[in-house]
Amino acid sequence: MTGPGTGVSQPSAGAGAELGGHAFLRGLPDSYLAVLAGTCRPTAVREGYRFFTEGDTASLFWLIRSGQVALDLDSPGRSLIVETLGKGDLLGLSWLVPPYEWQFGAVAVQDTTAFELDAAAVRAACDADPGLGYALLRRAMSAASSRLRAARIRMLDLYAAAGGPQDAP
Amino acid sequence: MTAPVLPSRYRVAGRHDETHDTVTLDLRPVDQPIPVCQPGQFTMLYAFGIGEVPVSVSGTGPDAELAQTVRAVGAVTRALCAAGPGRLLGVRGPYGTHWDVASAAGGDLLIVAGGIGLAPLRGALVTALRHRDRHRRIVVLIGARTPAELVFARELAQWRRAGAEVEVTVDRPTDGWTGHVGVVTQLLGRADLDPARTTALICGPEVMMRLTARDLLALGIPAHRIRISLERNMRCGVAECGHCQLGPLLLCRDGPVVSYEVAAPLLAIREL
Amino acid sequence: MNDAIRPGSTRLLAAAALDPLFTSLHGAGYTIIGPTVRDGAIVLDEVAAPSDLPFGWGVQLEPGGYRLRRRSDTAAFGHSAGPQSWKQFLHPPREKLWSARLADGTFEIGADQDEAPPRLAFFGVRPCDLRAIEIQDQVLGGGHGNSRYAARREGILIVAVNCTEPGETCFCASMGTGPQAGPGYDLALTELVTGDRHEFLVDVGTPAGASVLAGVPHTPASGTTLDGARTAVAGAAQRMGRSMPAAGLHELMAGSHDAARWNDVASRCLTCGNCTLACPTCFCTSVEDVTDLSGDHAERWQHWASCFDLDFSYLHGGPVRASEPSRYRQWLTHKLGTWHDQFGSSGCVGCGRCIVWCPVGIDITEEVAALQAEAQQRESGSTP
Repeated sequence: MTGPGTGVSQPSAGAGAELGGHAFLRGLPDSYLAVLAGTCRPTAVREGYRFFTEGDTASLFWLIRSGQVALDLDSPGRSLIVETLGKGDLLGLSWLVPPYEWQFGAVAVQDTTAFELDAAAVRAACDADPGLGYALLRRAMSAASSRLRAARIRMLDLYAAAGGPQDAP
Repeated sequence: MTAPVLPSRYRVAGRHDETHDTVTLDLRPVDQPIPVCQPGQFTMLYAFGIGEVPVSVSGTGPDAELAQTVRAVGAVTRALCAAGPGRLLGVRGPYGTHWDVASAAGGDLLIVAGGIGLAPLRGALVTALRHRDRHRRIVVLIGARTPAELVFARELAQWRRAGAEVEVTVDRPTDGWTGHVGVVTQLLGRADLDPARTTALICGPEVMMRLTARDLLALGIPAHRIRISLERNMRCGVAECGHCQLGPLLLCRDGPVVSYEVAAPLLAIREL
Repeated sequence: MNDAIRPGSTRLLAAAALDPLFTSLHGAGYTIIGPTVRDGAIVLDEVAAPSDLPFGWGVQLEPGGYRLRRRSDTAAFGHSAGPQSWKQFLHPPREKLWSARLADGTFEIGADQDEAPPRLAFFGVRPCDLRAIEIQDQVLGGGHGNSRYAARREGILIVAVNCTEPGETCFCASMGTGPQAGPGYDLALTELVTGDRHEFLVDVGTPAGASVLAGVPHTPASGTTLDGARTAVAGAAQRMGRSMPAAGLHELMAGSHDAARWNDVASRCLTCGNCTLACPTCFCTSVEDVTDLSGDHAERWQHWASCFDLDFSYLHGGPVRASEPSRYRQWLTHKLGTWHDQFGSSGCVGCGRCIVWCPVGIDITEEVAALQAEAQQRESGSTP
């Protein structure tokens, strides 16, 4: 199946098991996987496909299975790439926190496959079962923390020259 | 024999501007060449009248040619980076430990390079590619500041053709960059590494090496199969001046390549 | 004078026999370096005659204090911990490594070594200093090509002097380096001064020592004299004012990186580096490349450096060891700990110079005791 999400999911028998193989959901109990499988469908898109635009409502999110997606920001005359994501990554964090609006855009820079999930349905499932909510939030937190660390490291600009060891006084 | 260790004269046969401040010099011996250099080792390069600096050997040739990549950060390195074809330089060495690529034979070789850290690793990669069938996968993950500051950019295609999986990420993309954007550690998860068979060689700023090694440990690669290239103030290169100490190690003799098993506790001590 | 003198022989010299001994050394081509009084201290310098030796001079030592004093006897070797050690002759404070000349688009590098190093006889090497020379032999003598040290070292004749009277700051016994000289001397003297008698027991260590002694008037050493001398030296070992722990210094240093004591000692330490200058085993150097005004002639000079200098560990824009505690820690943990890893022995010989010549009187035996106490506290504190 290809194309933008329609919000209508058709779970298949093995969907939970497939989902459980994704790095982001590793270790999630089968019962939770089954719940998520009910809100999820596999998707495949071509290079250039725009997942979302800055400012849009975050109604879906994705777990990338293959390919490469760039997070970007639009600026007059140019597009700024913030970071690229790939296999095993969670695409989308803003669906978790109000006002549920995308802070960046996302575009496939290679042909990409992913699991597409319905954000509202997942939030409702988490409200209904805080155990599921806690498990998902911990994983999302881990992804966010890892990206924050990476961003801070990039800010340190470690590869810039700082007066080498060689030319000491 | 009462002579001190004298530099051997080498002539700059060619130069390549890798980036705005980094140059690879192609050196040919004028005097007796220095002994064969292993990937990971370094020489002390002398610019007449200005001084000497330790520089990693980024490549060797069949006729005792040396490729050395230098970044202009001070008086000596600026002079070296300005050296044109025909200029004479002094070379002493080789010194230090090497990457020991042979020990990874039969398994996967992972090379993780940050910035100019790719220079000391290039020799290891070229050696591995020369005997491609000795390793299963050869994975090269490169982090650069921007696309323009990627060293050896002209060789990536060649490395891929020779059987290396090469991924490049930049901290800051420029227009037209279609590759990864992010720190090099973010590429590890996507590389599908097999920890039981992987030997990792890491070189770059110390923070980058520490964080990369930590992520590799978390993936299950044991510390004794992770090697990093350490750097400290170096003056003599022959374990007599005392400057390059890192705890029990004299990096000109016990390094620069050190197993992470040995290095990790030392790097954890502030101001060691 | 009938038995042949050979390594292992022992003879007795009267003090007056030092003159023919000096003559014998000069005759063999040696320039004699020994202790002599100058500028309010006992320094090491060329001694042309035995009268240059510090007969009747002693020293009063304490942390941060050194004073010459008149002895009540005429002993020539009743002193210790002078400001210098023998390393200044084997590992000079400044030395030209090579020079280079630029001409016609090329340059030539030459070692500029035409003359052989002078033949020196070290006269009056204390056992701690003898051990220190051996330690520097290990660091500087081998391998990669510092044959400059090896060349200087090869010609040296060593006349050691066993100690019968420890200085107030000495702790050679606990470091296993004295007061009896270990192997490595050509001749070893034990000075015996009682009433009117002033004699030297001489142990012969090598054929070179035997040949120097051959023409010097001597007598056999009686059993009593021999016993008396050995007892005097052994007795000195019991009278040391200070000591280091017998074992475990390497482990103590390795486990002390986070010790609070470093901040304590650093609050007193001036990072002046006197200890590294006075220490007989400290060997660190830096190099300097210089040219003349024309730029055609370049030289590379090596000079002593100290790990207490901020620029010693300069890397990527700043020193790795910026703080005083980190630099003091580097010096002490290297001297007593990582020296073992790097060179196979301790770097400390217990001579006490660092204690005497520290302007604020830091005493490494006291610092080690404090580190040990802190380590024990840490250990007992962590036991559940």
